[in-house]
Amino acid sequence: MKKLKIKPQKLFNVAITYLIILAVCFVFLFPILWLVLASFSKTGSIYSFEGFFPAELSLDSFKRLFTDTALYNYPRWFLNTLFIALMSSLIGTSLTILTAYVMSRFRFKTRKAMMKMTLILGMFPSFMTMTAVYLMMTQFNLINQQWGLILIYSAGAPMGYLTQKGFFDTIPSSIDEAARIDGASNFKIFVRITLPLAAPMIVYTLLSSFVWPWSDFILPQLLLKNKDLYTVAVGLMSLDDTEFSRFAAGSVFIAVPIVVFYFALSKFLISGLSAGAVKQ
Amino acid sequence: MGKNLSAVVAHIAVIVAIIITLSFAGAFAEGASAGQGSDRFTGELEEGAVLRILENDTAIKQGYLEELLDAFNAEYAEYGITAVDANMDQYTDLENDGPYGYGPDVLYQANDRIMRYVDGRHIMPLPVDSIDCLDVVGDQAWMAYSATTDGQANIFGVPVNIQGPLLYYRKDLLPENWEEEWDDDKNGVPDMVEYWTDLYRFSKQRKEESGGKQFGYMRSFLEPYFSVGYLYSYGGYTFGNNNTDPSDIGHSAGNAELGGRVIRQLASVMDERCIDDSVTTGAYSALASGEFFATITTPDVYTMFVDEMKADGYSDEYIAENLVTADIPKLPVSGDLEDESQGFIESKMMGGVNGYAISSYTDYPNAALAFVNFATSYEMVSRRNELLGIVPARSDVASDVGGLSEVINANLEEGNIVVMPSIKENAQIWTPLQTFFQDIAKDPYRSAGEYKYDTLEKIKAALVNVDQQIYDAIFTLRG
Amino acid sequence: MQEAQTTKERKGFSGLGRRIAAYFKALPGRIREKFALAREILSQGNGKVRASMLFMGAGQLLYRQWAKGILYVLVEIAFLMYFILRGASDLLGFFTLGTVESNAWYGIEGDNSVIMMLMGILAWIALLFYAVLYIANIKDCYAIQCAADTLKAPKSFKKELSELLDKKFYKTALALPIVGVSVFSILPIIFMILIAFTNYGGDIVPPALVDWVWFDNFGRILTLGQFAPTFFKIFGWNIIWAVLSTALNYFAGLGLALLLNKKCVKGKTFWRLFPILAYAVPGFITLIAFKYMFSYGGPINQMIVDAGGTAIGFLDIDAKWTARIIGLFANAWLNIPSSMLLATGILSNMNTDLYEAARVDGASAWKQFVKITLPYVLFATMPVLISQFIANFNNFGIFYFLRGGLYMEGYFLASDTDLLINWLYNMSIDNNYYSIGAAISIIIFIVTSVISLAVYVLSPSYKQEETYQ
Repeated sequence: MKKLKIKPQKLFNVAITYLIILAVCFVFLFPILWLVLASFSKTGSIYSFEGFFPAELSLDSFKRLFTDTALYNYPRWFLNTLFIALMSSLIGTSLTILTAYVMSRFRFKTRKAMMKMTLILGMFPSFMTMTAVYLMMTQFNLINQQWGLILIYSAGAPMGYLTQKGFFDTIPSSIDEAARIDGASNFKIFVRITLPLAAPMIVYTLLSSFVWPWSDFILPQLLLKNKDLYTVAVGLMSLDDTEFSRFAAGSVFIAVPIVVFYFALSKFLISGLSAGAVKQ
Repeated sequence: MGKNLSAVVAHIAVIVAIIITLSFAGAFAEGASAGQGSDRFTGELEEGAVLRILENDTAIKQGYLEELLDAFNAEYAEYGITAVDANMDQYTDLENDGPYGYGPDVLYQANDRIMRYVDGRHIMPLPVDSIDCLDVVGDQAWMAYSATTDGQANIFGVPVNIQGPLLYYRKDLLPENWEEEWDDDKNGVPDMVEYWTDLYRFSKQRKEESGGKQFGYMRSFLEPYFSVGYLYSYGGYTFGNNNTDPSDIGHSAGNAELGGRVIRQLASVMDERCIDDSVTTGAYSALASGEFFATITTPDVYTMFVDEMKADGYSDEYIAENLVTADIPKLPVSGDLEDESQGFIESKMMGGVNGYAISSYTDYPNAALAFVNFATSYEMVSRRNELLGIVPARSDVASDVGGLSEVINANLEEGNIVVMPSIKENAQIWTPLQTFFQDIAKDPYRSAGEYKYDTLEKIKAALVNVDQQIYDAIFTLRG
Repeated sequence: MQEAQTTKERKGFSGLGRRIAAYFKALPGRIREKFALAREILSQGNGKVRASMLFMGAGQLLYRQWAKGILYVLVEIAFLMYFILRGASDLLGFFTLGTVESNAWYGIEGDNSVIMMLMGILAWIALLFYAVLYIANIKDCYAIQCAADTLKAPKSFKKELSELLDKKFYKTALALPIVGVSVFSILPIIFMILIAFTNYGGDIVPPALVDWVWFDNFGRILTLGQFAPTFFKIFGWNIIWAVLSTALNYFAGLGLALLLNKKCVKGKTFWRLFPILAYAVPGFITLIAFKYMFSYGGPINQMIVDAGGTAIGFLDIDAKWTARIIGLFANAWLNIPSSMLLATGILSNMNTDLYEAARVDGASAWKQFVKITLPYVLFATMPVLISQFIANFNNFGIFYFLRGGLYMEGYFLASDTDLLINWLYNMSIDNNYYSIGAAISIIIFIVTSVISLAVYVLSPSYKQEETYQ
């Protein structure tokens, strides 16, 4: 931002900025707002809306979501999902960060080949391989096991290491070299120096590897047959057509942990190198 | 160098030898062990059996399953048999789960789903002599569960519930003077719930008078299950040879295009919502609010309409009096809803038969059979009817309940309810049909120059194309 | 060798053809180099090395390298056990794919062809691992011999372990991810690729026995008249879609991140919450909501009708381009939040000195963006951009949820908004043609991976990884 002396122009700039931000926020809010309104609709159906608003508001669907658990045990689904997503996120993030760091900092024989390979592997249509995954899990006795899902999510996470590697590539290597002169091992450098610098990336990775199991419904549907093990996504998909307001309520509530997650971690997200002391 | 090389070669040779010997030995042993098995229905109840029962969500929600399981467990406690809720998705696919031991022992699903399992032998052929309700269930219902395998006709499931569409309408929304103006045959039944021509005329009138805010008959055409009947009524069929020959696809057969035109005409007196599935779940509240006068759906959702009307403040008596279910209206022979000069024919509609089948992967086939017999007994089926409003396939229950159950049973036996094909290829009919119904329902809402289906020839051509698509889906890529 | 190549790449791209030619020219030398060590070991290895050749770990034990020796011996025993117990028959099963059909009606347990194939692949992978370890074992023993010959004490086991945390840290770090990816990503892909060469699908699903049919499926695809026109129609749209949606998501995300990074914006955390909300609701739910919103009975049409207009079929059968555009925006709506998050994270790591300098030079905001911000962000996110391109190319959910269940005229079992992956799904899952589906996915796979690999290899983030280091 150039420091302009002419105030009106700056004011205009600020006004335009806020105007765009407001517009963007409206676009992002609109469907969500509609979902929220639907969750407060008294009748179960979305088509008893009057225009944008439901005919009558009530908290009924939320009440039923948490109390009427005989057939649709939402609280249970919620805890199941939380467990699976948290575990997958922690394990998956560790593996991804480690992989990305190594691929960014080390030079070894098979590195370039591995980089190309992972890129290509992502191109294979994933649902085509679902059959194989399912068959494999039946052989390993991991059907109806939450750990089976966690295993798959965590094992798949490092495939997306390119994002994190790109980030590590932008951290000046002069920093680790200084440490190496002081006699630190690569492992130490990673833990003591690189990790703290990578906080925004770690947060991003944690979030995105949390969101994947959190909203996926293909794998859990394939691997969890028992209704008591359902995740929220599978459970919501199994809701009857006439239960739209409950569906909406469940969908709105599912967003809560991620929003909480975001608030808890947001300060790390934007406090990277620019805020830190290290400059090239 | 020689010595070292031979050491490596020796190592490789040993590994290869191990693999070859063991693999062939294994294959040989396996070949020897495969003998002929024996019939698994011995009649001896397996003690300590725990049966996992897959029921549908409505049965669970309304508490029927719990009652059924309690009654069964009390009755069979002395044999040490218990039945439990399989606790799985109601549409679970036995073909995927069964072979690996994750499927239910007994499953309640629709006939097209259950019969899909026959080819892979995922469900057991039932011993006919041991089925208690054999004589009280009609032939058409049994047909839905029979198939010929290894040159022998077998029964694979026990029918419980007949799904056939019904007309739901609001008696209080009839015109005041319907007895004079809308009852030409003077039989005390309004013509618009007896004849499609009159329902069409009434719908048109109601839409015009309300300025497009209220409708007569309304229903989404998207779902082939409810739309294909119009084609059937004029000579169309899904598969030849009583829905068993997938190479003969006949949605364009006979004068099926007349059925297409009926759909197009009906669509024109609704609004655009009939094109997609907007009014499928919305129909309950729309009928309750009086926006729609009539719609067609299955019998088991009666309570949904009642709930919506109650929410709108109607009393129970008022609802019982004014929310009426009736048989599907008759269609004009001419196939033109504006021409009733040639008389009428019965409407045909697609239907289904839900029932129980026994998984081949169960360890307790005899206990499972006992459960199926118990669950299809007179008492349990009547209870199911009471709680869930289903139409019993047992004719004794149907005649005792009377009313619509009898009507639907009669429709089934007379062939006015055409049961969904029970062959596996049925899975391939939905998308092509759904596309066609969407297309033709959209036609009245296209601008005048762009009509795709304004002549019968065009409709016929489109139906031929539908059949070709289904054929392609089934055969073109088959090896 | 590898390093030399990298340096050459760093000099810039000098014609793909020339590079391929150079690769092949260097190949014989490279092979000779590879085998030089093998020849050396074979001719120079002593009796103890030979012992390791016969039985893994034996030589190490003879050299009194107890820990390592025992480890190798255990590995040898474990592999032998595996092959004896099931590996051997799994390998055979891979070729036969089963001989006895099971018949659940009579309780006859036969062979499950697909399981046999899967376990067969696993056995091959095990065999490969065994070979790798066997060679490592010989090399290791030879290294000990060399050390002993020159009277140097061989590396202690402890030292080797500590190396794994330092010089060879990459081995330690990558071990787990590689095993995970091999089992859960590579194995299923190999399985699917092999399926293309069988007759799995249609009526031939277990318990029926599957057979190898080699190239029959490819032959059938190529000779099927309806196939090619549909393929190219969908492929064309698929490319347009992937390019447009990737660009839209990427630049909108970046733009949003920059916008919210502006100094004059107060309450950044609050404003960022709105996109986060979109991110927090599972994508398939949002898509279902979008479908309802744009349906004839949905709120948008209700508002149009209430305002006196006629309902618009945003997603109906005639809505080719409107549906495509809605798909594009729905996808953007779903993906912009995460690309904004990513861009925010990356921007936060940027060196602000450059801006200071630019400001001193009086560069305009736009110039600063084009000359400083964009190259930096592009560099850091090029691989991401490519993987997003791939993800969008294979974006199954958008049109499955928004406009599924249509077969259009002129398309073979597909609709005009379907992407290749949707078409693949129609054929392989809806219509059960697993082997044909697998064959088509191989074709798609080859086409798309060549494109994206070329883009990747040419990108600065691949060629000049060290730019910002």
